[in-house]
Amino acid sequence: MLMIEFDRVSRRFGQQDALRNLNLQIDDGEMALLTGHSGAGKSTLLRLLLLLDRPTGGQILVDGQSTKQVQGNAVGHYRRRFGVVFQEHRLLFDRNVRDNIALPLEIAGFSLHDTNRRVRAALDKVGLLAKERADPNGLSGGEQQRVAIARAVVARPEFLIADEPTGNLDPALSVEIMTLFEAFNQVGVTVLVATHDLSLIARSRHRLMTLAAGQLMQAGVA
Amino acid sequence: MTQPQKRDQGHWGAWAAWRAQHRAAASTSWQKLVVQPVVTAVTWLVIAISLALPSTLLLTLDNLSAVAGGVDRSPQLSVLLTGDSELPVAEQLQRILKSWPEIDDVVLLDRELALSQFIQQTELATVVGSLARNPLPHTLIVMPGPALSAAAMTELGQRVQTLSGVDRVIVDTRWVARLETALQAGWRWVLALGAVMLMGAVLVLGNTLRLAIEARKDEILVVNLIGGSPAFARRPFLYLGLWYGVGGGLVAALLLMMMTWWMAGPVNTLFLLYESPQTMRAPGAFYPMSLTVLGGSLGLLSARLAAGRYVRQLVSLASSQNR
Ligand SMILES: Nc1ncnc2c1ncn2[C@@H]1O[C@H](COP(=O)(O)OP(=O)(O)OP(=O)(O)O)[C@@H](O)[C@H]1O
Ligand SMILES: [Mg+2]
Repeated sequence: MLMIEFDRVSRRFGQQDALRNLNLQIDDGEMALLTGHSGAGKSTLLRLLLLLDRPTGGQILVDGQSTKQVQGNAVGHYRRRFGVVFQEHRLLFDRNVRDNIALPLEIAGFSLHDTNRRVRAALDKVGLLAKERADPNGLSGGEQQRVAIARAVVARPEFLIADEPTGNLDPALSVEIMTLFEAFNQVGVTVLVATHDLSLIARSRHRLMTLAAGQLMQAGVA
Repeated sequence: MTQPQKRDQGHWGAWAAWRAQHRAAASTSWQKLVVQPVVTAVTWLVIAISLALPSTLLLTLDNLSAVAGGVDRSPQLSVLLTGDSELPVAEQLQRILKSWPEIDDVVLLDRELALSQFIQQTELATVVGSLARNPLPHTLIVMPGPALSAAAMTELGQRVQTLSGVDRVIVDTRWVARLETALQAGWRWVLALGAVMLMGAVLVLGNTLRLAIEARKDEILVVNLIGGSPAFARRPFLYLGLWYGVGGGLVAALLLMMMTWWMAGPVNTLFLLYESPQTMRAPGAFYPMSLTVLGGSLGLLSARLAAGRYVRQLVSLASSQNR
């Protein structure tokens, strides 16, 4: 089943097209890598999908529904279907690991009991159960990124979106992070990862989409 | 298809979720206060002072108004006769005045009687005894009929003044009128002062909150990114404002108790001077409660203004800039 569709999407900044008449489909349960040189429009594409930005042309459909209609309070509900991991992991450094991961559950309004249970389950999945009460400032880069992934998946989103999730990490850690994404994809989460880490792309068995000049160059299994 | 995520919320419900969110926001905001004791203490004190000062004055005025209102207002004239008017003259004047339709009763204070009372009260017998003659005049206390206006009283006093043998007429209710005028001026002054000080409190509070929000702008951005509503992003700051305000109100109540205790002495002396039987009232429950509610509302209002604007700015910035 088709979940995400970009239909001739353009995003123009002044005279420059970041995306130009881009067509793209991602199926339910699929895992895809998005690549392209710096400035190719990867972040722009993800931001459009998250409604952090709006297209200047065309439309984006999720579950067959145009996101044009998603406005106001509906934006929050829409975004909660996505788990998001960015290169700057954007943890909150004024609270411990547990409270960072609990934030999406708080937003969704889970009870304290359910929250605790789910936070521990998410920490277990990323292998950081021992760090539940730790201060994020004291964690390594890889550990911080895994906390960010735990936060992204704790509310069991339908989609997992990552923008350069391995940018700051050494190759071994990058592989570890990708393995985590694959594990989530295995249990049914649709995963879209933007990266220009060639070693990751080379090792991936997943669909690869390459952006150039604001358009998709090739779509296929690498 | 992953199982969608509303699932195990069924028994939980929107109301409970809302409560859980508020509890979380309230307690994390309180923790923020606790880890910054100096900022918190200074903010509480600033709010407390700007609330306590006008309310102490208000309480004092309240007490004084009770004096002005509680005094027996039936006006009377004290008619002092000239020193050479003897008792028969005084008695004749008493009869004349009694016959006037607007006058109810006239009491004669015999100057010999008054002198002996004075000697008794002051134990100045030897001093007074050495005087050649009684320095006190005969005095008539004139009690007009009820419902005589202040203007009519003054006019009556002027007419009595023209009678022969009369030295001076004192309208005894003047001090009440004077006190009332002074109190009215006092009310206005306190209201103006109160308004200015409240404005100061809102500004200080708004600034403190703005700094707190700026320090936590990452939180607002993350909340926005992962699907929290602007209301959710604002909530911790509203509670922060509430705690600042309520704390400030409680400290203000404490200050108010201390200041009334401190002012009770002079105010009670004032009561005595005006022959009022009462003593300064303690603030009771009304003032501390109003102060706490007022402080809390100020805090909420300031927070709503500061957070509302800032959250909107940050969110629209996040949506328009490339990250
Ligand atoms: N807010 C903006 N204002 C102006 N130009 C922008 C804005 N956001 C993106 N762009 C431009 O759009 C183009 C695509 O940017 P984008 O960030 O999507 O690239 P990217 O593929 O993510 O690059 P990188 O690999 O370096 O992260 C760039 O040329 C960029 O300068
Ligand atoms: Mg980018």
